[in-house]
Amino acid sequence: MRVLLLPGWLNSGPDHWQSRWEQLYGDIRVEQHDWHRPLRGDWMAQLEETVLATPGPLALAAHSLGCLLAAAWAGLSQHTGRVHCALLVAPPDTQAPALREQLPGWSAIPRQPLPFAARVLASTNDPFCAMARAQALASDWGAELIDCGPRGHLNADSALGDWPEARRWIDEQRTPLN
Amino acid sequence: MKVFCVANQKGGVGKTTTTVNLAAGLAKVGQRVLVIDLDPQGNATMGSGVDKRKLELSIYDVLLESASVQEARVRAERAGYDLLGANRDLAGAEVELVGLERRDKRLRSALAPVATEYDFVLIDCPPSLSLLTLNGLCSAHGVVVPMQCEYFALEGLTDLVNTIRQVHANLNPDLQIIGLLRVMFDPRTTLQQQVSEQLKAHFGPKVFDTIIPRNVRLAEAPSYGLPGVVFDPAAKGSQAFLEFAREMVERVKSM
Repeated sequence: MRVLLLPGWLNSGPDHWQSRWEQLYGDIRVEQHDWHRPLRGDWMAQLEETVLATPGPLALAAHSLGCLLAAAWAGLSQHTGRVHCALLVAPPDTQAPALREQLPGWSAIPRQPLPFAARVLASTNDPFCAMARAQALASDWGAELIDCGPRGHLNADSALGDWPEARRWIDEQRTPLN
Repeated sequence: MKVFCVANQKGGVGKTTTTVNLAAGLAKVGQRVLVIDLDPQGNATMGSGVDKRKLELSIYDVLLESASVQEARVRAERAGYDLLGANRDLAGAEVELVGLERRDKRLRSALAPVATEYDFVLIDCPPSLSLLTLNGLCSAHGVVVPMQCEYFALEGLTDLVNTIRQVHANLNPDLQIIGLLRVMFDPRTTLQQQVSEQLKAHFGPKVFDTIIPRNVRLAEAPSYGLPGVVFDPAAKGSQAFLEFAREMVERVKSM
């Protein structure tokens, strides 16, 4: 199973767990044309193209805005059957006033149940999403919620290293599809 | 209101140049014009003097029915026409429209409320046969096909003619090829003259009388964010597009 990495707004730097996974496991980063001005349609088309260009069963490992990208894509694509599971780390609340202003195209958060196994990882002091909101999103998406404690936005600043405990869940999903 | 797609399944044949210059030419002869950029590259948007990075609403929002044409259009002031612009967001429409109803007729429905506001709507279609192109073809009365007079030009034309035939038969009975426009023409090249004559012989009156010459001023104009017709009205290429605009007005009268 190949893992597609979906970074959030402004991409993930070298110390981010996603970049470490890219190095460690050869995961594939979904490259966006414009990391500074994330156009929802453009990002979704890039994800679709990456899915179509990558053979075999897939897992998604998304961070921040990448989580909303995964949810938006899952609601529209004809190819969601290719995805076995999704790890959704620190989904942002783009309906909160500060983010709504900066990311207007993303303020409608897709809330439909996801068509694949999903796990949401959230922190109790994430500046971009209150825990109650993360809980509500996970519930709507039909995902299991894991409380990671006070770890900020679960990015490079959270000092997660290679974050093997998060990776383990993806590895556990590798049971063959029936 | 008459709606025309500018289309060719070959890339780099001067589609966008044709769209923006025909639009500016039509505006100069007093026509009310709307240009629709249906290509996620947004070249017609930039070539009309509108920065695609600063669009608040675009044709993408119109296709997804989250904005009306009236809300999403902007004025391309110096070019003299209205524009429904595009940026890379539009690529998402390919994914998002697939599962929706009336997915190929969204643009057609969106244009109905502005039908009395324009004489001409020109749609710059992407070169691939996509859901975006299909939306263009389903909205249009006709297709203007710019083509270079080169040997392989005719190959792309066969595919396009087949597509148009299918759309005409299944989705839009109004659709027809309005005409073939010879562009980037270099009269000194024997092959180009031969292909040009072959086109005339084969397609007869479907070939526009006007020929657009290869012209450096037309090529330079997009980097100034203007159609050549506005950037350098005296250039040979600009004059040719003005003449072409008049020919289009005449041809539409007989439709």
